[in-house]
Amino acid sequence: MKARIFAAVALAAALSVVVSTASGGNKSAGKASASSITVWLMSDAQAGWPAAVANATNQFQSQHPGVDVNVQYQSWDSVLQKFDASIAAGDTPDVIELGNSQTAKYMAAGAFQAIQPKNYPNSSTWLAGLKQSCTYGGKTYCVPYYAGARAVIYRKDLYRSVGFRSPPKTYAKFLAVNSKLMKKYGKNSNFSAFYEPGQNWYVAMSFVADYGGQIATNKGGKWKGTLNSPQGIQALTAFKSMVLKFSRASKTNDEAHPFPSIPFAKSRAASFIGNGWEWPYVFNPKGGAAPASFAKKMGAYPMPSHIKGRFLPTFLGGSDVGIPSQSHNKSLAADWIKAYTGTASETLIAKAGNVPNTTKLLGVNAKIPALAPFAKAANYSWFVPIAANWVNVENANILKTMCTTILTNRKSVAKATADASASITKILNAKS
Amino acid sequence: MSSRSPAAAASVAAPYAQRRRPVGRRLRRALAPYGLLLPASAVIAAVLAYPLYYLVRLSFQHYGLFQLVRHKGVAIGTANYAQIFHDSLFWHTLVRTVAVTAVCVVLTVVLATLIALLLVELSSWVRLLLTAGLIFVWATPVVVAISIWSWMIDFEFGVANWTLTKLGVGNFNHHDWFANPWSGWGVIISLIVWGAIPFVAITLFAGLTQVSSELLEAAAIDGASRWRAFRDITLPLLKPIYVIVISLSIIWDFQVFNQIWLITNGTPSPDYYMMAVYSYVTSFKISEYGLGSAIAVVMVAIMGLISVFYVRQMVKLGDVE
Repeated sequence: MKARIFAAVALAAALSVVVSTASGGNKSAGKASASSITVWLMSDAQAGWPAAVANATNQFQSQHPGVDVNVQYQSWDSVLQKFDASIAAGDTPDVIELGNSQTAKYMAAGAFQAIQPKNYPNSSTWLAGLKQSCTYGGKTYCVPYYAGARAVIYRKDLYRSVGFRSPPKTYAKFLAVNSKLMKKYGKNSNFSAFYEPGQNWYVAMSFVADYGGQIATNKGGKWKGTLNSPQGIQALTAFKSMVLKFSRASKTNDEAHPFPSIPFAKSRAASFIGNGWEWPYVFNPKGGAAPASFAKKMGAYPMPSHIKGRFLPTFLGGSDVGIPSQSHNKSLAADWIKAYTGTASETLIAKAGNVPNTTKLLGVNAKIPALAPFAKAANYSWFVPIAANWVNVENANILKTMCTTILTNRKSVAKATADASASITKILNAKS
Repeated sequence: MSSRSPAAAASVAAPYAQRRRPVGRRLRRALAPYGLLLPASAVIAAVLAYPLYYLVRLSFQHYGLFQLVRHKGVAIGTANYAQIFHDSLFWHTLVRTVAVTAVCVVLTVVLATLIALLLVELSSWVRLLLTAGLIFVWATPVVVAISIWSWMIDFEFGVANWTLTKLGVGNFNHHDWFANPWSGWGVIISLIVWGAIPFVAITLFAGLTQVSSELLEAAAIDGASRWRAFRDITLPLLKPIYVIVISLSIIWDFQVFNQIWLITNGTPSPDYYMMAVYSYVTSFKISEYGLGSAIAVVMVAIMGLISVFYVRQMVKLGDVE
């Protein structure tokens, strides 16, 4: 009898393990073979600049006839788990795009093949910020792909209706126009003068940078979360008061749920902070499906800083593409990357609203009036702490959770920042 | 559950055994049940025992991304366990998991019992309608169901807020169900219980149809109230079924993952952690696979204890019959 009980217990226990762990193993990397390569790009490319991807593949295939390029689009939410799973299975893609705040952990772990920059197009003029995110221990592990700066995308007609013929140049004016908008249109409880999803931590951290604060500092190799510094608390207090006054976006969702372009296209928002590519996304069927005539009402401006004459520092976000060290088609992968990050594709990527990977092409955006404000906004920027474990802070949702607890008044700014700083200290100092 | 051992099987064959058979044949006969168990055991060993072994091994290693790339962990003894047992987040999560499981199981069983009792009383076509509804809920894939729920309670465009406002319950325009963990858990628990009721209700209904109406009639004639009749006749008769559904519900609800993960867009704050979510975040989000495994092993151990109780009950029930 005993034996049977034990057998049954073992069975039930084993079942529970399988159920609780099976959800993670999601692999979809292609089989290694010389007749095809597998490329993982973020879905932004699919929505925003498919022509650049097609151009790269055409160029690659004229060089390697008969080699298929299997482009698989990934979502930011799950790409790293999938990549980890593919590493565990020894079946990684041949090319992968990672965000510039995600690369450090993977370079440090040896997940990327080192490359020779001089073999890649425009490497002497790569954007410094992106190049840095591809460098670890003196070696280069990936190729800069594109960057993005955020600016305020707004409704010119609504601003005009409250007496603002040009966008605000100071933070005081920014507050003034939004107050007037809320007064005039705020009776409609769906209306936001400035639509800021509560978990859009990039904006919250822009305030921190603007007030001279930092997410974390490094002293003698030891990291310390510093959002609870006086500057951090002051910045997030200002952020909280601004958001609670002007935004009726959810405090528990981020800027992808829903994309702010959707309420904006539906006239529920007079403005929001977005990347350059979010301007055309307003007209995308998935991004708001605004009619073409809507473009006449739209404008953009760099968000003003509380310091006169400056802009609110913008997160210098971006992406890199690299070759996983376990890829079996490294030289083919390198050729595809060369095609995708070369001048022709990068010009298309820039025209879609992004900052291209080389300073040679910065002029492309400056000539497009809608995109010029984004290029201007990039004059003041900030970046996440350069720590191998940084991406774990993002993945554990430390900053999103902090923003939510502050904006929903569940904790004071001081308490929420102290808690977040403690978590950040712990994660950044964890040995890898 | 029958307790027929090979020896008992042999005794059934006793009349034939008088003519003593060759040893090889007897041996074959005695081994036959084990032979029959072999294929299933092999499958279980391959798909369950090995992963379990691997999980336990991983829980005694430092296994981060660096180790993942090299496919080789570093043995660190019980350090992972020491770390989680000193982590207040772990204890909060454990207590929350137990509490949420208890609430879900109680709600599921009580509501399912009421529905099962209702099913007995209904006219046949209404019963058919209700059963069909239950089956539809049951048949809906969990991911689809969660997507539908998150659309319904969507902050910006959801129909739930719109309906509640129109019904005059209050101003639910832009009501954020997850701003407050209590209301957030209310949604998640409703979602779990909603999905769990059909199986339990239909199983209990099947049990109720086996309760002899003569017994209930006799009780009614003796002046017993309906509640009394339910408590003293129906409930004891259904006990075996309750043992099964409650045990299974505990096992299912204890390891809830999808409902929480998907309805929070994969970004649950620690207020929404259950053990499975905590283990997943630690393993797959922070790449601390060893630590995540240790959490999973603790989960397995707790489930193992619950299963002991479950199996004991099953064996007891089997012995009575």
